[in-house]
Amino acid sequence: MEYENQEVAKAAESLRRKLKSLEDKRLIVRDPALTALYDRLKTLPPGKDRASFGKEVNGLKNELQQLARDSRQPAETKLPPIDVTAPFNMNVAPTDRPKLLPATQGTRHPLMAELSEVLDIFYRMGFDAVESREIDDDYHMFTSLNFPPDHPARDEYDTFMTDDGLIAPAHTSIMQNRVMRRYKKDLEAGQGIRVVIPGRVFRNEDLDARHEHTFYQLEGVYVDEGINAGNLVATIRAWLSNYFGKEVKIKIQPFYFPFTEPSFEFAASCPFCEEKGCNVCSYTGWIELGGCGMIHPNVLKEADIDAKKYSGFAWGFGIDRLVMLKYNIEDVRHFESANLKFLRQFK
Amino acid sequence: MKVSLNWVRFIDQKYKCAADPAPAGIDALVEKIGAQLGAVEEVVNLGEKYQGAVVAKVISAEKHPDADKLKVCWIDDDGVVKSAPRNKAGHIHVVCGAPNVTAGQLVAWLPPGSTVPSTFDKDPLVLEAREIRGQMSNGMIASAKELALGDDHTGILVLDGRFTPGTSLTEALDLNDTIIDIENKMFTHRPDLFGQLGVARELAGIQGQVFKSPAWYKEDADVAGDGRSNGLKLEIKNDVPELIPRFCAVAIKDVKVGDSPAWLKVRLGAVGIRPINNIVDMTNFYMLETAQPLHAYDYDKVKSGILGARLSQKGEKLSLLNGKQITLEAGAAVITDGQRPIGLGGVMGGADTEVDENTKNIILECATFDMNLTRKVAMAYGLFTDAATRFTKNQSPRQNRAVIAKTVEDILRIAGGRLASRLMDDKHFKIDGKPVKVSASFINSRLGTDLRAAEMKKILQNVEFEIDLSGDQLSVIAPFWRTDIEIPEDIVEEVGRLHGYDKLPAELPKRGIEPAAKNGLLEFKDRLRGILAEFGANEVLTYSFVHDDLLKKTGQDSQLAYRLSNALSPALGYYRFNLLPSLLEKIHPNIKAGYDKFALFEIGKGHDREHKDKDGLPQEFELLTMVYTASSKTNPSGGAYYQAKEYLVQMAAKVGVGLKFKALEKLPDAPLAQAYELTRTAFVSTSDGKFLGIIGELKPGVRASLRLPEHTAGFEIDIEALLGAKPAHENYRPLNRFPVLEQDFCLRSAAKLNYQELTVFIMENLKKLSKAHGYQFNLEPIDIFQKAGDGSHKQTTWRIILWHPERTLTTAETNKLLDQLAEQAKKELKAERI
Repeated sequence: MEYENQEVAKAAESLRRKLKSLEDKRLIVRDPALTALYDRLKTLPPGKDRASFGKEVNGLKNELQQLARDSRQPAETKLPPIDVTAPFNMNVAPTDRPKLLPATQGTRHPLMAELSEVLDIFYRMGFDAVESREIDDDYHMFTSLNFPPDHPARDEYDTFMTDDGLIAPAHTSIMQNRVMRRYKKDLEAGQGIRVVIPGRVFRNEDLDARHEHTFYQLEGVYVDEGINAGNLVATIRAWLSNYFGKEVKIKIQPFYFPFTEPSFEFAASCPFCEEKGCNVCSYTGWIELGGCGMIHPNVLKEADIDAKKYSGFAWGFGIDRLVMLKYNIEDVRHFESANLKFLRQFK
Repeated sequence: MKVSLNWVRFIDQKYKCAADPAPAGIDALVEKIGAQLGAVEEVVNLGEKYQGAVVAKVISAEKHPDADKLKVCWIDDDGVVKSAPRNKAGHIHVVCGAPNVTAGQLVAWLPPGSTVPSTFDKDPLVLEAREIRGQMSNGMIASAKELALGDDHTGILVLDGRFTPGTSLTEALDLNDTIIDIENKMFTHRPDLFGQLGVARELAGIQGQVFKSPAWYKEDADVAGDGRSNGLKLEIKNDVPELIPRFCAVAIKDVKVGDSPAWLKVRLGAVGIRPINNIVDMTNFYMLETAQPLHAYDYDKVKSGILGARLSQKGEKLSLLNGKQITLEAGAAVITDGQRPIGLGGVMGGADTEVDENTKNIILECATFDMNLTRKVAMAYGLFTDAATRFTKNQSPRQNRAVIAKTVEDILRIAGGRLASRLMDDKHFKIDGKPVKVSASFINSRLGTDLRAAEMKKILQNVEFEIDLSGDQLSVIAPFWRTDIEIPEDIVEEVGRLHGYDKLPAELPKRGIEPAAKNGLLEFKDRLRGILAEFGANEVLTYSFVHDDLLKKTGQDSQLAYRLSNALSPALGYYRFNLLPSLLEKIHPNIKAGYDKFALFEIGKGHDREHKDKDGLPQEFELLTMVYTASSKTNPSGGAYYQAKEYLVQMAAKVGVGLKFKALEKLPDAPLAQAYELTRTAFVSTSDGKFLGIIGELKPGVRASLRLPEHTAGFEIDIEALLGAKPAHENYRPLNRFPVLEQDFCLRSAAKLNYQELTVFIMENLKKLSKAHGYQFNLEPIDIFQKAGDGSHKQTTWRIILWHPERTLTTAETNKLLDQLAEQAKKELKAERI
């Protein structure tokens, strides 16, 4: 397209050139060269000149938009076939051959890095680890965990379901029945069951800075003869003290889960302020971490374990929360954002 | 659950149930509640709101000289409020807009400097002395609404006559209350704790005090007086006794519906319930006190004199008290007038039979609805009412008759009227008197404690369990309101909690030193993660659920994916098949944020509706996916494919696995292959041929729709297959002490012979040719070159490094070897050495 006005014609030429080098072509309409023309338009007195100038500027804007749209379909830029077995492309200079990116910019995801640190403690305490599933059935989500059908306690778990009647697990407890069955032979051999279960879980919750519909939990299961609630408190205290590198106190509060009896929530004394109160613990001196309890006899029975002979405890807590506390992260949504600005802070 | 400490105290004192609930102060009580009852969400000092408010007597109320709707009043506070200006008689001038203000009333006066209680929590309005149309007004005379004691703002709140002017309002109305809000979740299994009475009992129990329920609550009662002689027809017809195990009702005649007395409004207001009228308020009062919901109907609106209960039929209509009309599905419990539904049983009453100011005669109903059905109905119609909350906790049918009798008594007291029927009592339940048998040693073994059986007995008796103790054995009969007590473990919980969880001895379990098994897959994932991070790639986590659009953009068929039926938004509509689309989607935002060249990887799971595991559940594919991209700003060259390949080959090498790449003749149907460009994509397998995954660049359409730079490629592999691959460990070779010879070897071959074929050929032949002489060698690619204008040929150059482990190799030997190699190449590949 030709422009009569010198100013517009000159801008058109430079903008067309600029468009070619732009990654996001749509940004061309925000280019200062174009906005300057609009600014200029405002300064012109009303009249014929102004009208024709305006028409040309608008024409240029339309042209650029069209060019941007066209270039966004790079279907045209079909690349030639290559020898996929070669280590580099034909006729490529040695300096342009594949290179790994600098090691210094590589990162693990902070949740995964933390998880492996936590798992390491449990390995040292003699636990095995079994990963949780991401799609499961009603039996493992509810029935095997002593939730009768239609029981109101099911409402506490805002589960996602599929059209096929499957469930996006709302807790890693879906694995309790499986691990107890898998390790039953160890139990009968007198070694007890000690398993931790990391996994991704889902809750049908609206997103905000403190709530994610997708997060990570670590479940723990311990079954043996003579296991009691005091053992549970001591076990949680031992791993958290090891994790924080200092002795913490553990507080349990009554709670309700259908799959434990009795059920508790557990909190640790704030390791960041020695219980004096700080912004990490919201000035309470305590950090609430998760739920736990003595495994309900019905849950043991459902896994073919003799609930008269054996008893056990289980707990679960969120990895996301732990990492947020540790790094003082303000928004849980960063975790699944794949935002390099966030991720590259965790070396 | 909001607990009013004054209400608890009222119960404790009036019925002589227990000693004071907060002997050591409120803070100590709140702490104890947290430790032994449930997490406390909030503690509100209600009295603070009413600081400064006093009871005053209206001496005179005259029309405002300059305003029709205002009155100017002189009020008497007995001189209590020091700051207020007074006339000679000691009275205070206040302008009031309420139509109902008259001389002689006792009212709530908010003097200047006090805060309007309804505004206390946000944007507090502090009163002052100011002129209203020329007349000085010192503070205000308050309505129930302004006092946060209800919705009524049509007039000022008029107090009962028994207070002396000048009394503080908090004292007069028992407003000096503390509201302790305990998280409901704790009480999911506790029907009794949804009533102030139940909480009062528990507060005694956790403090080791004895609690004795009021006599009127513990036994079936009858209402005083002879209803029959007053004669209103009342019939009840329960068609679903299995879902409504008890249905009590009674008719009352000639009630005077009106405002509730202030004390009742205060009780309800304290726990957040809006006062409506004296009849409804009284039913709510006893629901809040005992956790047993009641409902009052206008007898004359029911017309038939029949109260029926049955299951709804599909299509029946019902207008509810919340002003909404619903069309019922089949199977909800409904209360009927014998024919049509007039209430949604256990959930909400109907609008057509609502008690209002014109009501003369009422029917009072007190029934028990099945918890599971109530939950279903509440969910189906989205009606999470106070009644439904209580019924879903499994209320005992053994309290209905006591509660309705007590409610009738109080309605007659505050609303007048006479009993007009028998107390109907339709019951279909058995009392299970079977005790739970449990030994003290069992309880100790589960808690880790060392309590004596007698101590346990005392702990349980405090909250009215009946205990028969014989040696170590406890035979426990739970009180009827504890429908949750069924098994020995329930008794363990009671003893542990009432004793105090903080007193449990915390000792680690004892175990042997057998090594724990290890999870190879988890460890392997961590290893891969570490390798790629060392290679400068960034690990990401993205949602397991994806948008239909993303599936479409990457050529995947959503029919094959699991769809969420209750997704939060379309963006989370489907379980993803694989991770590649999610990663591709994250490229553009990062480029926009200024990153030009990067690699993202994720370790996660994929699912499709086709593949099932041995348990019949969806198979979970363990995937490792990486994408590499460089924006045009960086002038990338050489093909992104090779960049991704470099990552994959190097990573596999780190875990000791050699790889093979195979060009595709056509794209397979599998969803995970659909985004790739056929001519720049390969299948990856281990060097011994086990399939691992796919690697390639993207179709131009995929690039366009996700706004990806041209220089973008990715791979996706099955982690379990990689873990299972046999490591291609070369045997260790002793360090070479002799010089090595390096020779570049260039072949001109047909372009269609791929690099892998050529290299394998050279490797095999070098091996063969060296064997007899004992040579050893390494091979490195140096160059692949195609002359302009000759598309059918190419020249590939390798550097061959040769040595002999026992002697120095001569150039002549090397040349001979390479000549032989060239000869073979010519013969078999028709390739020319250059």
